[in-house]
Amino acid sequence: MSRKGPIPILRVGNVLLTTIHIDLQDTIAAAFQEDVLTEIEKTGAHGIVVDISGLDEVDTHVARILAETGAMARLMGTRAVLVGMRPEVAATLVRMGYAMGAIETALDVDDGLRLLGGRPKG
Amino acid sequence: MARLGFDERELQSRRAIFELHDEDLQRLTAIRAIAERHMAEVVDGFYALLLGHPGTRRFLTDDAQVARLKRTQSAYFLQLFDGRCDLPYVENRIRVGAVHERIGLAPKWYIAAYRRYLALLLERVVLDIPDRAEALAAYQSLKKIVAFDMSIAIDTYIAANLESLGRHQAAIRELSTPVIRVHERLLLLPLVGAIDSQRAQQVMEMVLVRVIEEKARAIIIDIAGVPVVDTKVADHLLKTTAAVKLIGAQTILTGISAQVARTIVQLGVDISSMHTLARLSEGIELGLELVGKRIAPKEPS
Amino acid sequence: MGSLAFESQTLSSETMAIDREEDIVHVRKRARMLAQARGFDAFACAALTTAASELARNVWVHGGGGQATLEELSDGNRFGIRMVFRDQGPGIADLERALQGGYSTARSLGLGLSGTRRLVEDFAIDTRPGEGTRVTITKWTRF
Ligand SMILES: Nc1ncnc2c1ncn2[C@@H]1O[C@H](COP(=O)(O)OP(=O)(O)O)[C@@H](O)[C@H]1O
Ligand SMILES: [Mg+2]
Repeated sequence: MSRKGPIPILRVGNVLLTTIHIDLQDTIAAAFQEDVLTEIEKTGAHGIVVDISGLDEVDTHVARILAETGAMARLMGTRAVLVGMRPEVAATLVRMGYAMGAIETALDVDDGLRLLGGRPKG
Repeated sequence: MARLGFDERELQSRRAIFELHDEDLQRLTAIRAIAERHMAEVVDGFYALLLGHPGTRRFLTDDAQVARLKRTQSAYFLQLFDGRCDLPYVENRIRVGAVHERIGLAPKWYIAAYRRYLALLLERVVLDIPDRAEALAAYQSLKKIVAFDMSIAIDTYIAANLESLGRHQAAIRELSTPVIRVHERLLLLPLVGAIDSQRAQQVMEMVLVRVIEEKARAIIIDIAGVPVVDTKVADHLLKTTAAVKLIGAQTILTGISAQVARTIVQLGVDISSMHTLARLSEGIELGLELVGKRIAPKEPS
Repeated sequence: MGSLAFESQTLSSETMAIDREEDIVHVRKRARMLAQARGFDAFACAALTTAASELARNVWVHGGGGQATLEELSDGNRFGIRMVFRDQGPGIADLERALQGGYSTARSLGLGLSGTRRLVEDFAIDTRPGEGTRVTITKWTRF
């Protein structure tokens, strides 16, 4: 896999899984978006799970990158599910007046994969 | 350590406050041999003092414990002359402070005992340094590192107090926002009483925390017990719904009376993003459906 | 003794440069460290560090760099953290619109200023066209 950025993207069956564990500064964010889209193009994955349980803070800049990446994936026919957002992160974003648009969400990676049909229903 | 906010930067800034420079540490290493010679006297003298006062004696239960503490104290004593004041050193000091806090030794005893300790160091160690100017300088350095240590211990006391205050507050919040587990992965919050913006924020936080704790798929918020639902309250409920969605669960709003329905529509609040139902029982049915369960009549046997 | 009403008092103050994008992270991490040490809970910590991110990013993106000053306060009952973000950039021409939210000259979300304002107890802006901008925020522990 020819990744441009430091954030790995894994393949789980027909679905992609990526865990964001570092700060999405400008260069990293751009590389991340490009990596996601390239990977979708290459694999034709029908869904992508983006795990942000490692982020203890998400400002509007990062939130926008996440929402945008989801929207781009959707345009390519791939469902994007954001998982693992921490309570304090969600409360902060909502208080700031940003609810991240129409992006799909799930509690954790398991639920996210299940939502995309990557795991048996439970 | 994280709790106390101690990192390299804090270490450097604190050392600067106490004017604890590398020269001070070197000066202390230089008199280590003298210090070692007097270690037993200082430590024994210190415990004699502690045992002589009822306020500190009550912490010293038996001889074996005193012997053990003396060994710890000797190690501590030598560390003062190790010439090191880095993060591991601080970590060690935090541990010492935490132990004293845990056994309930009030800071006044800690500080008073430390003053005595310093007096012993002066009498036994510093006065044994032949050169007067050198002795004076060494004493200044000793006072710096001792004051530095005390500041860390006091911070440990404060952090522990803050933590217990936080626990009390959490307990109070839990009582005013009782989130109940209805079924696996389904929660219920019956809201009773007026909701101002401070309470609304607490409700949101509690709901989010409980959803994560219980890995809930949905939470039912029943507002039948809320006397006034105005734009502000509606807005808070919408925000909570949005936040619940962000962490990957759903909100079902129940207990909406005709009056409330009228208000919400007249106020022009858009609640299309919410599941809303009149009765709690309907909410529970919908909630069960969301977690893949159903209420069915009992088979006649 | 009851509670004594103190003037709020500055316990510490430090200034950090915001010259590169990484500095945004440094400021934010430092803010989190201070908040945690002073007993801010997870929600208050997230609010404070997010505010720090937003304002530090504004200094860097819109103000062309500047400084952040982080202060620990006490009013005798509670701890507070005050942050001052300063730059010598172009200033904010239409402050009212910038504070309304949803307005951005950088084609971003435009929720940084308006959102930050909702996350903290005190919020003040001093901006002059051609001279620069200073945003001061304060957040207090809840007890
Ligand atoms: N430090 C600053 N210097 C100059 N202009 C600023 C500064 N901070 C904010 N602004 C202006 O206010 C607008 C709104 O800021 P903000 O709410 O943070 O949204 P965003 O950064 O997404 O544009 C910015 O687009 C910019 O025009
Ligand atoms: Mg901004």
